[in-house]
Amino acid sequence: MAEAILVPQVGQDLTEAKVVELHVKLGDQVKKGDLVAVVESEKASFEVEAFCEGTVISLPWQVGDTATVLEPLMHVGAPGETVAEAAPAAVAEPAVVPAATPAAQPEAAQVASAEPLVAKVTSGVVNAALRASPIARRVAAGQGLDLARIAGSGPKGAVVLKDVAALAVGGAATTGGGALELRTLQAGQGTPVVFIHGFGADLSSWRPLVARIGLGSPMMALDLPGHGGSRGHGAADFAGLVDAVGQTLRGLQGSVHLVGHSLGAAVAVALTQRGDLDVRSLTLIAPAGLGASVDGAFVEGFLGAKSEAALAAWMRRLVSDPATLAPVLVRATLAAREDADLVPAQSRVARGVFEGSTQLFSAAAALRSYQGPCTVIAGRDDAIVPLREIEAALPGHVALHRLDRVGHLPQVEAADLVPTLIARTVRSAG
Amino acid sequence: MAERELMYREALREAIDEEMGLNPSVFIIGEGIAERGGSYKVTEGLLAKYGPKRVRDTPIAEAGMIGVGVGAAIAGARPIVEILYVDFAMLGMDMIVNQAAKFRLMTGGDGRVPFIMRTQGGTGGGVAAQHSQSLEALFYHIPGLRVVMPSTPADAKGLLKYALRQDDPVMFLEHKHLYMTKGMVPDGEHIVEFGKGDIKRAGTDVTLIAWSNMIPRTLEAAEELARQGISVEVIDPRTLVPLDREMIVNSVLKTRRCVIVQEANRRGGVASDIASIVQEECFYEMDAPVEIVAGMDIPVPFNLTLEKASVPQKDDVVAAVRRSLHLDPFAEAAE
Repeated sequence: MAEAILVPQVGQDLTEAKVVELHVKLGDQVKKGDLVAVVESEKASFEVEAFCEGTVISLPWQVGDTATVLEPLMHVGAPGETVAEAAPAAVAEPAVVPAATPAAQPEAAQVASAEPLVAKVTSGVVNAALRASPIARRVAAGQGLDLARIAGSGPKGAVVLKDVAALAVGGAATTGGGALELRTLQAGQGTPVVFIHGFGADLSSWRPLVARIGLGSPMMALDLPGHGGSRGHGAADFAGLVDAVGQTLRGLQGSVHLVGHSLGAAVAVALTQRGDLDVRSLTLIAPAGLGASVDGAFVEGFLGAKSEAALAAWMRRLVSDPATLAPVLVRATLAAREDADLVPAQSRVARGVFEGSTQLFSAAAALRSYQGPCTVIAGRDDAIVPLREIEAALPGHVALHRLDRVGHLPQVEAADLVPTLIARTVRSAG
Repeated sequence: MAERELMYREALREAIDEEMGLNPSVFIIGEGIAERGGSYKVTEGLLAKYGPKRVRDTPIAEAGMIGVGVGAAIAGARPIVEILYVDFAMLGMDMIVNQAAKFRLMTGGDGRVPFIMRTQGGTGGGVAAQHSQSLEALFYHIPGLRVVMPSTPADAKGLLKYALRQDDPVMFLEHKHLYMTKGMVPDGEHIVEFGKGDIKRAGTDVTLIAWSNMIPRTLEAAEELARQGISVEVIDPRTLVPLDREMIVNSVLKTRRCVIVQEANRRGGVASDIASIVQEECFYEMDAPVEIVAGMDIPVPFNLTLEKASVPQKDDVVAAVRRSLHLDPFAEAAE
């Protein structure tokens, strides 16, 4: 399969790099270690080497273009191969919504994940010049953090333990006190952006989205109680969820930007009321907790589905256009249920937060008193949480983006717009 | 336990006195140690108490004194040979390196050499290049020798008593600046075993390793660093051979940073060897390179200002700790 050579991360806060030299053209043979291009940021230029052997089959940028970092600079594959077959095309695949952990996914290769891409960048381009203390390297490796994307505060920019520890705080937060594991999806600098998934999903559902945001901030996510890696957590009502997430985020000891989907959006709003958290901005995607209704049949049907066909039938309710629901997502969701504890745990949460088609919690008052930047993104065709109820509850200072032909999963059906809006909201908070 | 304040030299005298009282095979020889009570007043009063057979003045002939000591030890006595300056011990190096250090091994373990060379080194007061050296690395390098460098009165007493009860040749290296320093010494039988380091100050941010006169200097630096909000742990190995590797390694595993301070010039020094141990044992736990603060690789100057500049001072230790924590990036960039 063809592989992408990515535009390197040329600086911590930079999202673009200028292509100043291209040493290959379409059809050229490259081998590992070949200098294929030079890109530059405002401060420095970076040589890009091929890390694999093959034929250049795509070359989207020209000399003089401003390219987006971590996007493909070129693809290398077999002669005649097309780019659609290339690995990074997976990024454009629809998001995994209710999903398993990556290891449990039967077609993991097709499920988008930011990590392999980043790993390629480091192994192919940046690693040689990377300075980091031994302990920083070890902790980063253990936490899955990419050293190349962490700004070092040590001598000559070396990454030292405290730089990594700031990102690896989730490790410490897992012990005791009902806190959850906070996972870094993408390392970075500055105020972290924390993603809170919706009912029935888990943190891996954010990976494709996170890869497209293009912010230099650390991107982190957690599994809500009863979901994913937190399925053993006992919290089973809305206050319990908010408290567990609040305790987890307190470990960051600073400000956060919150992005939430559905139930996770309501949790995000409620967190703004905690005195121990400084929530700099809110991006709420198809938020629950603003109106009273929820599609109770969906909740029941989704939890009860045992076969792929049944689950697919219910999951199609999540989207406006059923074609956007990739079969792999359904199968991945089903595969996650091979862990017999998952559905009972999710059901326990469902009983705590929903009663039939009623939401037992409200975040509307909290949203009215939150004064920071807040963006709400909702689909006009949302069958799970009705748009009109969201609209009715929104205070005037909140921005609402209503999307045509989008259902309960704007991050899947508007996969380009949602990351843009998140980035804009985070930046607007300064 | 009750304790008294003693000077370093008084603590040494107590150790010799107590052990001479307990063991008739202990004797002491040296230049001016009997009638005059020693240049550093360590042996004052011992002649009157134990008589000229056990407390004996010698001519200025270090090779002969050391030879007598090593021979007497092989023959079963427990001699203490006081050498006025460690610099002068060079005259007896064959007896120390080729005889004392080897005898136990070369007799198949039958022979023992409980020979103690008490001497002093280090800079202090402009006594110039032949009276100011810190030569512990020479002895440290030789397998078979014990190398002891006490920094406090209590350690001086406890280590010297232990030295007089064990069976291997001991280079007991005092410091000319320490004889008049005071410290609390436990009453009664006080013995400090070889190979047991001492945490002179507990801390969390950086491990400082020092010995002999660098301990008081390092503790002053630690005090200043504490005012800057930096918590350093000061470790005194007390004996360089055997070395308390465990204490050093455990501390560095905790702080992840290590600064080693030695008065001796840097090249081929004990600090370099400890640094190699630290990197070997702690590399994957460390957050900064090991720093060594050491004397310059020059003969110690006579001029007092230059003498001071040639060996580590408090500010050098403070700067090294701050470098280890990368607290002054702009100063580092300017260097």
